[in-house]
Formats: sequence, structure tokens, C-alpha cells
Amino acid sequence: MIPIPRTIKYESDLDHAFREKIMATQGCENIWSCIQCGLCSAACPISIYMDYTPRKIIAMTREGFREEVLSSRTLWLCASCYACEAYCPQNVNITEIMYALKRHAIEEKKYPRNFPIPELAKSFFTYVKAHGRNAEFWVVFRVWRKVALLRLVKMFPLGWRLLIRRRLPLRRERIRHTRQLKTILSNLNGEV
Amino acid sequence: MASKNGDIPRIGVYVCHCGTNIGGQVNVPEVVAFARTLPNVVVAREYKYMCSDPGQMLIKEDIQKLNINRVVVASCSPHLHEHTFRKATLEGGRNPFLFHMANIREHVSWVTQDPEKATEKAKAIVEAAVYRIQFHEPLESKHVPVHPDVLIVGGGIAGITAALTLADAGKTVYLIERESSIGGHMAKFDKTFPTLDCASCILTPKMTTVKDHPNIHLMTYAEVLEVDGYVGNFRVKVKKKPRYVIEDRCIGCYVCIEHCVYKTPKHPSEFDEGIGLRKPIYIPFPQAVPLVAVIDPETCIEFKSGRCPKKCQKACREIVGRDAIDFTQKEEILEIQVGAVIIATGFQIFDPSRIPEYGYGRYPNVYTSLEVERLVNASGPTGGAIVLRDGRKPQSVAIIHCVGSRDRNYNPWCSRVCCMYSLKLAHLVRERTGAEVYNCYIDMRTPGKGYEEFYEKLLHEGVHFIRGKVAEVTDWTINPEEAGKLVIRVEDSLIGVVRRIPVDMVILSVGLEPRSDAEELRRLFHISCSAEGWFLERHPKLAPVSTYTDGVYIAGACQGPKDIPDAVAQAGAAAGEVLSLVDRGVIELEPNIAVIDARRCSGCHVCIALCPFSAIAFHAEENVARINEALCKGCGVCVGACPSRAISQQLFKDEQILAEIEGLLMVD
Ligand SMILES: Cc1cc2nc3c(=O)[nH]c(=O)nc-3n(C[C@H](O)[C@H](O)[C@H](O)COP(=O)(O)OP(=O)(O)OC[C@H]3O[C@@H](n4cnc5c(N)ncnc54)[C@H](O)[C@@H]3O)c2cc1C
Ligand code: SF4
Ligand code: SF4
Ligand code: SF4
Ligand code: SF4
Ligand code: SF4
Repeated sequence: MIPIPRTIKYESDLDHAFREKIMATQGCENIWSCIQCGLCSAACPISIYMDYTPRKIIAMTREGFREEVLSSRTLWLCASCYACEAYCPQNVNITEIMYALKRHAIEEKKYPRNFPIPELAKSFFTYVKAHGRNAEFWVVFRVWRKVALLRLVKMFPLGWRLLIRRRLPLRRERIRHTRQLKTILSNLNGEV
Repeated sequence: MASKNGDIPRIGVYVCHCGTNIGGQVNVPEVVAFARTLPNVVVAREYKYMCSDPGQMLIKEDIQKLNINRVVVASCSPHLHEHTFRKATLEGGRNPFLFHMANIREHVSWVTQDPEKATEKAKAIVEAAVYRIQFHEPLESKHVPVHPDVLIVGGGIAGITAALTLADAGKTVYLIERESSIGGHMAKFDKTFPTLDCASCILTPKMTTVKDHPNIHLMTYAEVLEVDGYVGNFRVKVKKKPRYVIEDRCIGCYVCIEHCVYKTPKHPSEFDEGIGLRKPIYIPFPQAVPLVAVIDPETCIEFKSGRCPKKCQKACREIVGRDAIDFTQKEEILEIQVGAVIIATGFQIFDPSRIPEYGYGRYPNVYTSLEVERLVNASGPTGGAIVLRDGRKPQSVAIIHCVGSRDRNYNPWCSRVCCMYSLKLAHLVRERTGAEVYNCYIDMRTPGKGYEEFYEKLLHEGVHFIRGKVAEVTDWTINPEEAGKLVIRVEDSLIGVVRRIPVDMVILSVGLEPRSDAEELRRLFHISCSAEGWFLERHPKLAPVSTYTDGVYIAGACQGPKDIPDAVAQAGAAAGEVLSLVDRGVIELEPNIAVIDARRCSGCHVCIALCPFSAIAFHAEENVARINEALCKGCGVCVGACPSRAISQQLFKDEQILAEIEGLLMVD
């Protein structure tokens, strides 16, 4: 028999300290003001692909649905376009809250696995940190190798056509003083 | 220490616990023990509730048995109980102004955390009162007569109701309405929620009664210019705008309108919210009161070029035989005297073109709710048919709630009536067109008798209720189903998905906001506005129709968004307050007025220009300024300004204030 998972939430499933943590981030203080009108979701150009609409993310954050929020794809789909914030009748800084949540998702390693966008972010960052420049082919290659090998095979004909038209350079460019870049970046992350 | 008027002060001090309001924070017995040590204090007592009957008895008994001649009560704010204790002092046999109140609740227990510090502060305030009261003198309150006539500004349902109530009680009422007809917003509706009774069937009889009532002087097309005076005695200047039709002669026969050189109406009708058209000479709606034509000089050819054959005038003269049209009419200024004023100027709707996402003014089939009220009205421009601008019947209609309301970018408040009128319009649209109706709301607010039942009824009628605030209305379509339609984008938040819904017609349920000229009116009548611009009531619960200006009352939607039942209830309440004032016939004035010592006044005129209530006049024979006791509000401006120190203010004399300060500083 296939077990049917329970959907009811007990208070012990929730993390009520979570909202305080998010609210402690500058710009995220007014999460309380949300009246759940859904205007953000309707204004958002990406919400049609999100697993939880921006309004739901706000509600779930407030009520301590930490696991669900941090592993949501919504955080990674958000295009930071600020449409939601511009229209919100309560002036909730939704985009800032999305950023704060994304940071928590990275710190707690809760982001959705096998989902290309966090991988893309990671791959881009690692590559640029090492070389000082982006190389589309290698960044994309790494993402798909990680999340969907099969997709990579399917994408071969497209890649080939781009390659022979010299639209997808394989050459890895790098800047001269990569060591200095690394120092700058680790300073930014407070890792000195 | 003997007081100024010779007697030896014998002071009684009474410290109130106010339940735990004061007693919970301040050590009352300690304050009482301290009070006993103060000069001239004969007795000091504590009591749980000084304002209760036994509390007041303490004062009366001590006056009689211990021959107390000064009373200090340390309790709450004078706003609440100064009157109570002055009365107790009087009933005990002393002049009521030999009493002083020390506020140790609002000023101490409610605002001080530390009980020890609270007790110290309470002692200081009691000591200040004890020092001050030594200098109190017996004073007499002044009584002035109240003029029995009443002014009502605004002839909407609130103004009409108040006018009829007062006129039926035999009072003479002046009803001033800015538009050419009374009726206000209600006159524009076809049906009213929640009972769906016909608006004009219930309003028109009231309007005609106003017109015919012997006690009501109706002035339409008129505005208040100036207000002078004070409670019981206001002098008001009213401007009557020219309508170019003599009211007493016009019989409202429409003949002039038929004969106007414009064969068909060309100008947007204000009353029809621009949905219908009118001619330069018009009657705004068939039930208008007074039923008198008006000429709009902005669109009338005679006023623009002076070369119109004036067929209207000829028709009125020759066909009707009334000769009512007078192109030379001038504005008139009238002066009236009244004892009380009711302001009932209502609201204006939010202008939705401020929200570009909703496309009002850009897409012809986006309407305001008020425009749709005119569409559904049997005497409106379409005779009650709900049709699009091109005459088609809509097959699907979206009603967007909270337009301009509950939104910090526009108006943060809930407009209270729009959920209900949106339900009403949903019902009417379904009834008359059979269209699919989508009500997009944030929260459904239907608190009121029979209101939730009305919502329930709509649920049964098959209206789609989508919980979500619409983000945009667009004509950008993405599939054949949407072609030629307007598309709304909204999160169906109960389901958690975003939806696109193609519709033929969009109705914007615009909110209510204060009239744009509310600020000017506020200044004219010296009343206050809330931060949002609604007229401010004296107390939100206990004095909802009074203002901080005595004799000026407010009723209806000018005080805040409200529906007809609430507007009518307020109008009744305001009429009741006016009756209580006017029928009393006299008012007692607080004797805290300023007096000029003629021997000291040098006749310099400084005070005269400064008095905000124009209470000071110059008497040339004696070369001194003198204050009109009835006009002085005791603001104290002149007192501080007089270079000869000739002016003092009763209850706030220099020696009283200095003694108070000294007392405050005695406690270390
Ligand atoms: C679209 C819509 C539908 C509604 N439907 C309903 C309904 O079905 N049922 C219901 O109970 N309520 C309904 N309401 C609410 C209703 O309109 C108000 O409750 C009611 O009109 C309030 O009456 P009032 O007299 O206070 O104000 P108003 O109706 O605004 O009347 C004020 C009057 O004062 C006049 N005035 C303004 N300023 C001045 C001035 N300076 N000098 C002289 N005169 C002045 C105005 O010309 C006007 O005649 C609806 C509101 C809207 C917007
Ligand atoms: S638009 Fe603002 S108030 Fe509305 S649901 Fe989104 S965050 Fe909450
Ligand atoms: S900022 Fe993110 S959540 Fe907000 S509207 Fe843009 S994509 Fe959507
Ligand atoms: S024709 Fe004369 S009486 Fe008739 S409506 Fe016109 S102005 Fe009035
Ligand atoms: S009454 Fe309803 S539609 Fe009007 S502002 Fe309040 S919630 Fe919105
Ligand atoms: S106290 Fe104020 S109101 Fe009275 S006369 Fe002086 S300035 Fe005028």
C-alpha cells in the first residue's frame, strides 16, 4: 500500500522563530502588514510558473512554514523585477523578502535539488570566481550535467549548430590577476 | 495665609483610586498623608471612585461639617469629571470655581511605569493644585440666549433627514445645497442595498416634503461664504449662484429645453456622470427638487457669443407664458442668523484614473460604479438598460472591489459601502443581462442587518466570487477566447493560482473620500479634520455627531464612509443634539474669559488685531479696549500680548499659575 502523507500541520511542525529571522533583515520588517490580497501574485510576470505564489510565500513565512518556503522554487524563479513591490497596497518589500529567503535557503542548503536555477547561480559563481570571466558553454554544461544529463544529450544538436556558427565559444577566457579577485570575493563574504 | 478675597482658605483634598487605574500605580495613602502636611489643608481623604455618589458626598459633607471652602480632587482628566466635581462643590454650598482638579491618571498613572516615581509625581501635582487653589475666587458663569433657527449645509440624504426632523419639531431650517437639486448621491441610484428598494421611491417624497415644508428655507445652487459668531449666535453669509432661470416662475415644464437651439443634447451630463448628455439649459433629473431649469454659462451659446436667437427664452415667454429665463441674473449674497449648524456635505468618489493599471479613461468599457448606477437607473441615459458604449449587451462583467481603498498608495481606509454596492450591482447585472459576473474582492465586508443574507443570496445567484485584488485590466489578449475583450489578471487566492479572465465590461468599485473642498469648509466653521480629511467628531463613540466647536454638528458621509442607514441615523442624532441645544434656549459659558483692567489699558490696540475670535473692540470715548464676554473663548492670546499687562484671564491669573509652578517645584 502506498502511504498517504498527512497534510495537517501541527504547531510542532512549524518554526515560529523563522519570521523573526527574516524580519531582522533590513527591508523585510513590514512583512506583518500583508493583508493577503494577492495583488503581488497577479502582478508578478513569473508567478504562473511558481509552486507557491508570492502571496503564499509571505503567508507561509509569517506562519513559520520554514521547510516549505526554503525549498520552494518560487525564490529561484523570482526575476527581481519589483512589480509586486510597486503595486502592493501595503508597501510590503516582497522582493527584499525573496532575497532574504534565498540567502537562508543557500545557508541552510535547503534549495530545491535538480532545479537548474540554483545550480546555474552556483555554477556561474564558481566559474567567475576561478576565471574572472563567464564562459557560457562551460557554465551551462556544468548545470545540465548536474541536474539532467539526458537533457544535455537532447540539447546536443542545438549546441552543435551554435558551435559551428561560432556562437558558443569553447575557449576559456580568464583575467590576469585571479588571485586578487578571489581575495576580493572572500572579503565580501566575510571569510577573509 | 489669607486668600485675596479675605477668607482663610480651608482646603479639602480628595485622592481617587479610580479602581486600579490610579491605585495600581500610585501609592494613594502616601499621597493623602502628604497632602495633610500642606498649608491650609484641613482634610485629605482617599476613595475608590470619587465620581460615584458616595465620593461626591464626601465633598459635600466636609464643606458642611468642616467648613471647607476650597476643594481639590486628584483623579482623572478635567475633560471627564470637572463638571461632576464643580457640581458637587456647588451642591455643598460653595461657588463651583473654588474647585480645582489635579490630573493624576492621564498625567501620571497611565504614563509612568515606576510606582515610586508615579507617587512622587502625583504628590507634586497635588501640591501644585493646593498652592493654586488658594488664589481661586468665586466666579459667575455667563448665560447667553440661543437663536432658535438652524443651518444645514448639504442636501443629501443626511441633510434632508436632519432638516425634516427639525422642521417637524417646529424649528426654522435653512438648507443650503451646492448643486441645482437636493438628493446627493442617493438620487443617482436605482436600487439600494440590502433590500433593493427603489431609491427614488423612498427619496423623492422626502425631497418634495423639503420643498413644501413651511419651516424649511431651501437654497439650492448656493454655498456658504462666511461664518461669524459662536454657539447659539452664528451669522452666516450665503452665496446664491445665478441659474439664469427665475426659481419662482419656472414650473419645470421642459419646454425651454425642447426649444433650445441645440436640437439634440451634446454636453456630458454631470448628474449622469458623463454617461448621458444634456443641453446648455437642462433639468438634471426628472425628480429634481426644486424642479427648475438651469443654464450652464460654459456651454450656452448666448453666454459664449451673445448671438444666440434665445429660443428657450422665447418659448418660455410665448408658449408657457412664464417668462422665467433671465440671462442677466446675478449672484446674490444673503445673510442669515442661526443658533446651530449641521454639516452634511457627504463624500466624493475616488478618481480611478489615478490607477493606470485599471485603464479607466483608456478603455471605454471600464466604468466606475457610479456610472453603472446611472446605467441601471430607470430614469438614466439608457432607461435602465445595461449596455456597453457601443450598445452591445455585455456577456461577462468583472466587478473590482477596493479601488482606491485599503491601499497605502491611495487611500488606506476601507470605504465600508463598496462591498455591499458591488453585490447590489452584481445582482442587477445578472438580473438584467444574464451575464457571467466575477466579483474580485480582498475581503467580503458585509456587517449590517440583513447584509450577510444579501451576500448569501448572491452566492445562490451564481456570481463568481474570486478572492484577490486585481492587478491589471488589459486589452492585450493571448488567445482567441480573449479576442476583442478586456482581460483582468487576478490571483484566485483561495485556490492559489493566478487567473486571466476575459470580460466585456469592467466595473470599478471606487472608494469614498472626503470632498476636495472639505478643508475650506472646515476652516469656515472652525472644526477639525482627521488626518485623512474626514470631519472629526468630538468623541468616536460617545459624541459621534458633535465637533470641538460648540453648536456645530456633523452627519452623514462627511464624517467618514457610511451607507444610507447609518447616514440617516447620524442625521437623526445631529437633529436631536440641535434640539437639545436650541430648546434649552440659553447656554452657559465657561468664565475663563479675559478681562481688561481699564485703569491699566493704554489703548494701544495690540490685543484687538490678535484675538482670533474678534472679541475685543475699542471704545474711543474712554480710549480703552474692552472684551465681549460672549465672544471670548479664553484662549489667552491677548493676555500675553498686552504690553501694559492690563489683561488677565479668569482661572488662569498670573498668581494662580505662579503658585501652581511653585507647588510643583516644592517636591524634590
Ligand atoms: C456607487 C455607490 C453606490 C451606493 N449604493 C448604496 C446603497 O445601495 N445603499 C446604501 O445604503 N448606501 C449606498 N451608497 C452609499 C451612499 O451613497 C451614502 O451613504 C449616502 O449618499 C451618504 O449621504 P450624505 O447625505 O451623507 O452624502 P451625499 O449623498 O454625498 O450628499 C451630500 C450633499 O451635500 C452637498 N454638498 C457638498 N458640499 C457642499 C457645500 N460645500 N455646500 C453645500 N452643499 C454641499 C452635495 O452636493 C450633496 O448633495 C453607495 C455609494 C456609492 C458610491
Ligand atoms: S500585494 Fe502586498 S498585501 Fe497583497 S498579498 Fe502581496 S504582499 Fe500581501
Ligand atoms: S520581484 Fe519576483 S516575486 Fe516580485 S513580481 Fe518580480 S518576479 Fe515576481
Ligand atoms: S420653459 Fe420656463 S417654466 Fe418651463 S422649464 Fe423652462 S424655464 Fe421653466
Ligand atoms: S467595503 Fe469592501 S470593497 Fe469597499 S474598501 Fe472595504 S473591503 Fe474594499
Ligand atoms: S482670551 Fe483669546 S478670545 Fe478672549 S479676548 Fe483674549 S484673544 Fe480674544
